[in-house]
Amino acid sequence: MDSDIILVIVVATALAFDFTNGFHDTANAVATSISTRALAPKTAVTLAAILNFVGAFISLKIAATVASGIVDADLVTTTVIFAGLIGAIFWNLLTWYFGLPSSSSHALIGGVVGAAFAAGGAQAVLTGGLIEKVIVPALVAPVIAFLAAAGAILITYRMVGRLRPGPVNRGYRLGQIASASLLSLSHGTNDAQKTMGIITLALVANGTLSGPNSDPPTWVVISAATAIALGTYTGGWRIIRTMGSRIIDMDPAQGFAAQTGGSAVLLTASHLGFPLSTTHSITGAVLGAGAAKRLSAVRWGLAGNILLAWILTLPAAAAVGGLTYGVSRLFGSSALGPLLISISLLALMAIVFGKRLRRGPALTTSPADA
Amino acid sequence: MTGAIDTDALLELVWAAPLAVLAVTVSWGMVVVGATRASEARREDRSTAAALNVLVAVAGGLLFAAAVVFGLLVLTAKP
Repeated sequence: MDSDIILVIVVATALAFDFTNGFHDTANAVATSISTRALAPKTAVTLAAILNFVGAFISLKIAATVASGIVDADLVTTTVIFAGLIGAIFWNLLTWYFGLPSSSSHALIGGVVGAAFAAGGAQAVLTGGLIEKVIVPALVAPVIAFLAAAGAILITYRMVGRLRPGPVNRGYRLGQIASASLLSLSHGTNDAQKTMGIITLALVANGTLSGPNSDPPTWVVISAATAIALGTYTGGWRIIRTMGSRIIDMDPAQGFAAQTGGSAVLLTASHLGFPLSTTHSITGAVLGAGAAKRLSAVRWGLAGNILLAWILTLPAAAAVGGLTYGVSRLFGSSALGPLLISISLLALMAIVFGKRLRRGPALTTSPADA
Repeated sequence: MTGAIDTDALLELVWAAPLAVLAVTVSWGMVVVGATRASEARREDRSTAAALNVLVAVAGGLLFAAAVVFGLLVLTAKP
């Protein structure tokens, strides 16, 4: 009975993570389109939400879950998954509150690593997998995207530099709609699958599904697609502002270069089976598109804060994941621990958001409505 | 240390990703340049120049569409 209650809590927490993943990462797909006025804010998030929903159904190859090869699979229980999700949600909300783009996938991996460490000690964490799937991609993605977008904007200015700015800007705004759409579709395919994988893993760990390579049930696919689409539609406007206008003031050509730079790097990496973070790629591309025009055009102080958030993602989410696991285990294998933690987290969120909302609309409204 | 970094995929990414960006940038640049110049040429009654620039824009558009279709294929055939 207790294991079934824990399973229900894990599924609800996974969908909550999926929601935060959607609204945290909306900025990746639409921030540059909004800041260059290629799309109106509400149109941009609606388009992104629809394409995230559709993207979730494109590919269902989720046999390998997000933490496979990173932690000892024998230690993955529903409590470990729950604690990992809490760590990831905590980090997503914290970085969103400060308007900093960071990788939801790395937060999830960090949370699960911390929980597995608390459950089984250092040997539960597979260092090689961590380096291969987290550290190396985190170094590679922003650097390649930075260089690619920088090259793209230099070529673009070379091609259109002598033309009248009006039609050129209109042309690049149009191009941004295509690149933003592709990026949203890609995000839905990649990130909704992580939640489907986590829920499927929990169903297997609970014995509800028979084997580790089971396909996700239809209700899992539909609920994960819906959660990420709703989160995307809600729109993490603080990160959208950071990505769209606080790092650099971009023109439509720069917006196009950043989006195509980021999405081409992501899709090429996906084609080669080398998973990269959407957030790291797009942020690197935005920095590249700004720096290539003029180094001083980039607000490097903010870029430093973003880099710090990236470095802290894994340890911070791991610490919260480990702590959550420890507190859950204080109640033994009963459902009381996860239940109390979930209620406490919801209460904490209600207090923090309630206080912040009373101070003004900055957290939840689009630039058009603010 | 059980994981092994796939250096072949990494090296391929280093040259293939910028190449993909270059292809998309140039193709969309052709669309913008072609359409803008064709519009200017039409206003100045230079019909041959307008037609040539329309061709440039169409060629760029086809290349860009091919890149988008390739991107969609990559999405649907993920490893």
